Amino acid sequence: MKPGTRLKSAACDTEVMVIRAAEGQIECGGAPMGEAKPAEAAPLAADFSAGTLMGKRYVDAAGQYELLCVKPGKGSLSVDGQALVVKDAKPLPASD
Amino acid sequence: MSTKVMQGVRVLEVAQFTFTPAAGGVLADWGADVIKIEHPVRGDTQRGFLNMGGVTLDPLRHTLFEHPNRGKRSVGIDLSTPEGQEVLYELAKQCDVFLTNYLPQVRQKNKFDVEHIRAVNPNIIYARGSALGNKGPEREVGGFDGTCFWSRSGIAYSMTPEELPGPISQGIPAFGDSIGGMFIAGGISAALFHREKTGEAVELDVSLLSTAAWASGAVIAQVAETGVLTRNPMPGTGGAARNPFMGNYQTSDNGTINLCTISPTGHIRSLFEHLGVPEAADDPRFSEPRALFENAGAASDILIKAFGAQPFEYWRQHLKTFSGQWAPIQSFHELLTDEQALANDMIIEVEGADGGAPLKLVRGPVQWNGEAVETTRSPQASEHTEIVLMEMGVEWDRIEEWKAKGAIA
Repeated sequence: MKPGTRLKSAACDTEVMVIRAAEGQIECGGAPMGEAKPAEAAPLAADFSAGTLMGKRYVDAAGQYELLCVKPGKGSLSVDGQALVVKDAKPLPASD
Repeated sequence: MSTKVMQGVRVLEVAQFTFTPAAGGVLADWGADVIKIEHPVRGDTQRGFLNMGGVTLDPLRHTLFEHPNRGKRSVGIDLSTPEGQEVLYELAKQCDVFLTNYLPQVRQKNKFDVEHIRAVNPNIIYARGSALGNKGPEREVGGFDGTCFWSRSGIAYSMTPEELPGPISQGIPAFGDSIGGMFIAGGISAALFHREKTGEAVELDVSLLSTAAWASGAVIAQVAETGVLTRNPMPGTGGAARNPFMGNYQTSDNGTINLCTISPTGHIRSLFEHLGVPEAADDPRFSEPRALFENAGAASDILIKAFGAQPFEYWRQHLKTFSGQWAPIQSFHELLTDEQALANDMIIEVEGADGGAPLKLVRGPVQWNGEAVETTRSPQASEHTEIVLMEMGVEWDRIEEWKAKGAIA
């Protein structure tokens, strides 16, 4: 998968930009993502329905995949059935 | 449609917290392309605020981050690495303004002080926000608005009535920061104009201390001239000792109406009529200003009774036709529904990063062509790294190389 490619979810509105990818199948809502949306929407799998957030990066534990969400949706992202996690900033704690 | 007076201006912001980022936020409101550099792992330390003003902050609806950072894009760069510095220089080459509040010793260590940035772009305007100024023995000392704007400046001292046992606190998060951020934005605007006219790029400095000194300039000049320092009086209700048309009057539901009719001529009848005691305007004790001043106590008693007979909301509406100067003592709750604030587009909305309801923010204080500001939510940390770098003409292979080294995120 070429970096910079935009992938669309077959199960929801999610769109991502591929920042880093290996050979696995990138999925959203439990269904494979593609450069075009299928004519018929795939069902949203209950296990992959936590939703995506605009502007967040999603990564795998091995550091092989990084997807940047450019359009949010109801599905959540996975590769070969393994859920991706949000790569969040880890700011230093502060308080007034 | 909103007028973008800064369209085409690109600002490279290497700054944290509110004061200096707020300048970038104002410039973004005005249409500048503001690229905010954040640490690839930690992000702006402002994102780490867990509590502020007694409220626990939601990282996805982080109002304290949203206020100074709306309308920007975020690029994650580790400026402590040579590769990260290389990326920064690549960006600086294509920017008009470099905006920072990092301390001088950090700017030196990570090589983004004025000489490093000017080496790659001699025409860049270099704008610094600081605690106490870029000169003097304490130039390397940091600070917040609570310390430098509020406490050190003399503001806390003058705001506090001497009867109180200790100084009152700033009370409003990022109060001095937000004022000072606008000052930096104003300075940058003038610097851009100067560069346009003469070709010369300047350095500019605004500190939290200079912000406070300017905001207090009227009294500081008075102190310098006369030696007399005035402080806040203890709060109270009723009319001032000499002018009953000055003072805070309590409503039936414990709200407060502030009267500030310094020169009552022409307003006496209007006020007494609005208060439902028109006969007082014909009373020789109150019918002309000098008599009114002499009988301030008696007039104040009439006003106290009249204001106490109706609730706050009644007076807030009813006094709109009073000819003199007054104001309801509103809270920010009420400002959010104040028809003048709304009619002048002071409150804007941006989308919530969580996909929920929009967030309401205050726009920068300048309105262009009477139009409302249209802007976007603040970025997620490092949200736009690849997009901005590609826009700047960096090849993907280089992006990957930098990413592999941890220089960018």
